[in-house]
Amino acid sequence: MTSPKKSPLVRCAGPVSRRGFMNIGLTGFATLSLPGLLRLRAENAGKPPKEKTAVIMVWLIGGLSHVDTYDPKPDASTDYRGPFKVIPTNVPGTHITELLPLHAKMADKYTLIRSMSHRAGGHPAGHLRMLSGDSDDRDKTAPRYPDWMCVSNYLRSKQAGRTSPLPNYVAINPIEGGYAGPAYLGNAYSAFSITDDPSRPNFQVPNIGLASASESRRLSDRTVLRQNLDSLERSFDKEGELGALDQFESQAVTLLTNPKTRDAFDLGKEDDRTRDRYGRNRWGQQLLLARRLVESGVEIIHSNLDGAICGTAGNNWDDHAVNAHVFNGLRYRCWAYDQAVTALIEDIHARGLAKRVMVVVTGEFGRTPKISFDRSTGAHPASGAAGTLQPGRDHWPRVFSNLWAGGGIPGGGVIGASDKRGEDPLERPCSPGDFLATLYNHLGIDWEHTAINDLTGRPTRIVDGGAPIAELFT
Amino acid sequence: MHINPLRPVFALAVRRGRPAWLAGLLLALPVFAAERLRPVSFVNDVVPVLTKAGCNSGACHAKAGQGQNGFQLSLLGFEPQEDYEHLVKESHGRRVFAASPDQSLLLRKAVNRVAHGGGQRLEEGSEPYRLLRSWLQQGMIFDRDTAPKLVSLDVQPPRKTIKVKGEQQLKITARYSDGRTRDVTPVALYEANDRAMAEASETGRVKISDIPGNVAVMVRYQGLAAVCNVSIPLGAPVKNLPPNKNFVDELVFANLKLIGVPPSPVCDDATYLRRVSLDIAGRLPSAAEAEVFLASKDPAKRDKLVDALLSSPDYADYFANKWTALLKNKRDGASDITANFAFHSWVRDSLLANKPYDQLVRQLLAATGTIEGNPPVAWYKRVKQPTEQIEDVAQLFLGVRMQCAQCHHHPFERWSQHDYYSMSAFFSQIGRKPTATAGEDVIFHKRGVAQAENKKIDLKAVVRVITQSSTYQLSATPNQHNGVDRQNYSHFYPRRMQAEVLLDSIDQFTGAKTDFADLPAGTRAIALPDNSYNRGSAFLKVFGRPEGASVCECERASSASLAQSLHLMNASDVKGKLGAGGGRAERLAKDDKPAAPKIRELYLAAFAREPQSHEQAVVEEYLSRPREDAQGKPLPPDQARRIAYEDLLWALINTKEFLYNH
Repeated sequence: MTSPKKSPLVRCAGPVSRRGFMNIGLTGFATLSLPGLLRLRAENAGKPPKEKTAVIMVWLIGGLSHVDTYDPKPDASTDYRGPFKVIPTNVPGTHITELLPLHAKMADKYTLIRSMSHRAGGHPAGHLRMLSGDSDDRDKTAPRYPDWMCVSNYLRSKQAGRTSPLPNYVAINPIEGGYAGPAYLGNAYSAFSITDDPSRPNFQVPNIGLASASESRRLSDRTVLRQNLDSLERSFDKEGELGALDQFESQAVTLLTNPKTRDAFDLGKEDDRTRDRYGRNRWGQQLLLARRLVESGVEIIHSNLDGAICGTAGNNWDDHAVNAHVFNGLRYRCWAYDQAVTALIEDIHARGLAKRVMVVVTGEFGRTPKISFDRSTGAHPASGAAGTLQPGRDHWPRVFSNLWAGGGIPGGGVIGASDKRGEDPLERPCSPGDFLATLYNHLGIDWEHTAINDLTGRPTRIVDGGAPIAELFT
Repeated sequence: MHINPLRPVFALAVRRGRPAWLAGLLLALPVFAAERLRPVSFVNDVVPVLTKAGCNSGACHAKAGQGQNGFQLSLLGFEPQEDYEHLVKESHGRRVFAASPDQSLLLRKAVNRVAHGGGQRLEEGSEPYRLLRSWLQQGMIFDRDTAPKLVSLDVQPPRKTIKVKGEQQLKITARYSDGRTRDVTPVALYEANDRAMAEASETGRVKISDIPGNVAVMVRYQGLAAVCNVSIPLGAPVKNLPPNKNFVDELVFANLKLIGVPPSPVCDDATYLRRVSLDIAGRLPSAAEAEVFLASKDPAKRDKLVDALLSSPDYADYFANKWTALLKNKRDGASDITANFAFHSWVRDSLLANKPYDQLVRQLLAATGTIEGNPPVAWYKRVKQPTEQIEDVAQLFLGVRMQCAQCHHHPFERWSQHDYYSMSAFFSQIGRKPTATAGEDVIFHKRGVAQAENKKIDLKAVVRVITQSSTYQLSATPNQHNGVDRQNYSHFYPRRMQAEVLLDSIDQFTGAKTDFADLPAGTRAIALPDNSYNRGSAFLKVFGRPEGASVCECERASSASLAQSLHLMNASDVKGKLGAGGGRAERLAKDDKPAAPKIRELYLAAFAREPQSHEQAVVEEYLSRPREDAQGKPLPPDQARRIAYEDLLWALINTKEFLYNH
């Protein structure tokens, strides 16, 4: 296992980290397992058996290099193989690379798919293929179909019985740039977006909880005044349009004034060990926030591991040689990635959420197994000086890996395989349709028959070819 | 003549389980000979059964939807040739077995005797089952060239008045090219256009629910569609109708009488002024306008108001905003700005000058040259492919959606793929030559001269006839009978203000301004030339300003959302407007006049009406309350007043009366 101290790169200065990264390890949750157990018991005793299921999607924008992480190819020739050593995991026969030491200790808690495959090679097309099932492989400036998060939000909004005052779909560091969105469903079903960095000490979510008591008092003065003045004759409202508006208004007031909603976003309420375990950086705290929200009743969450992990430099997974030295880039971010994702998976299990909450980690595609070289622009923090020739990997949708956990997935599995260089699926190819159907299925949505009318009135199925990946659950 | 190829022959042989020799004997009888000779038709018998059973629907085996498990049929059976190939020849013919029809995969799957993803579609031994079976037994004859063609579909009754909770059985007759007719009631498909009003069963029985009005039941059979129109009377007395001001009222009120739904009375002056200003000029009337209009005793003041609004530039701005979105004046890159501004100005100026509609459309479709020289050419920049051109033209100017017919016969219209491609061939004659600006071509039309009659269709006259009608002027408040009506115009249907209008209204009411890039200060949201401003304005985005991606008005989101409510209550841009320097709150707080006239001004500006006495009291009490700062110390009166007026603006903006056009 590589100690982060050996890494050639300077990481975050670690402004808030209270202990060394190495000390956290897996012990971080030792103290949490008891309350976790108690919670499990309490759940089994009191609550109705059917809880609303939820999904947390961790998104790796730009595309994670599968051969350098979850699908190592140690026997490939040097023009393919990266510098990272292959390490065993706690599941006999499953190997990953040394970039993910914490993953290696808990491979029994997640299942890898090594044969996800499609043909959309551009960032927009790759996103649209994976998130909204658009089968056209060309890039577009905006989605033609709504993504699965908006679809789920829309379909769940039609069901009764939701009690949480929080919005049902929250994006923590949202996927932007026209890569995802509600398309013809309309903005009413798009995400409640959190763009601020949750690891900042003065992290704030706009429109959630007013800053001061006097602001809160003023809002309540105003709402009372409004109530006294709102005299529009309402008998025309047979379609319940005004009723829906009332509901949104009261939900908005709750979000603004109810201390509980504010609490759901307040990471200060979390144990310090937990915060450390996820990592005191943007990505770690994003995933901790996701877990916190899912416990408060948010059912659809995506969190994009994009942007500066800490500090100000831009950073994503798109390691073309011109953007970044691919291997240094991976070293630069994988320590935080490894920590955050494993913390989330552990936490989901420790808190008795492993059935209700499904976690999926993926980007829009993988990266070319064959290494390419180009001159650095020097822009990336893990890049050589401008003009240096450095290795990179380009877009590779033909085969790549996803990680799945929770949602009743027992873990420890590897589904499918890529060929010896990691270029094409060798066994059990999985499609974006399978990906979507699996998520919908977990949310209790009839992925097979549900169709939504587009703006021309044409019924459009939410999954166009595909089926839930059954092997995940065996 | 009514044809049923089965009943005399197979009904005896199969259903009653008589020995085969008996069937043979019966077949030999001359009286049955004629029927025996008529084999089961693939085109006219088998395909309709598959359609009725849903085999070739989008989610099952339709080719358009991939076709489950590799078995592909044409969508809704519009291509019998293909269906025959797939059914009989594909997969080494494993789906059919003439020698032992009951062993055919086709039938075994249909009755779910072998596992079938779609479950059981047919009852074993049922009429459709026996039809398929005998077709197999007869050797799977393909009769596309010989089968009589379906020429028309007749629904009985085509029009009927049915009472609430009533029922009606439809009878569908198909007429073929050989002059024969046939009762296809059991195999036709039925769909009511409003399921809350009527349900149509698989057998063609229409059940009316309890909502009065008009509903249509569409009947589909093969490539044809027909409609049964049902009026469901409420039966209430319709007296004291408002005056018939033009043909709109004649038609609407005649229908209301027919269905017995009494209209609400005509609305008051304040409501009318606000409504018609929002609908024609896309803005609220000012407090001063409201004062003048309410005080006027001129009996023709409403008609005159419409004329004044129609000749104002606001009309052109507001309607140009609608048209440019539908004509896809979209900004994809920075270089689009010139073309988009030019196109928007052309549309706006055309509307301002009241250019006849036919001329406007002709200038657009027949546009040649460059965008700089001839701005309507920009439409050909935006809408490039002939398929897109025909779809947009059909939907925008002919009111027909042709998209479906690109890939298959339109499922509920009479348009075929042939129609689609014939129509798009017009647009294949458009020539392009690149210009120095990337993405912009010189447009020329390769041949032909379009001859069109000048009709001088007056767009303003359309708006005038609608807004001056009594129908448009009805109150939004329903009476005891017409509350459920959402389609017969028995009362006004309130709508939330659209994004641009709402933003402008808040600006106008608070006395603030919104800045837009590259446009002069004070430009209003309804005058924005393209969609690029949505990116910079959270307000426009949240309230659903369209992106110009579709020719459908439905792209404009009108549904409420949490984000909208949060935005109005707490967003920084709205907060900023409430307290804008030089804005209304500041001015009123500084003004030493007594509260009453100031409250009156606020009500005239927000709702075009006078405040009622209880509103006056509530507001006066609120304004006179002592206020404290965050530390609990009393605020000086001028600051307290400023806060109170900002709160008041907030409260009025957040009322339904403000947000809605009612």
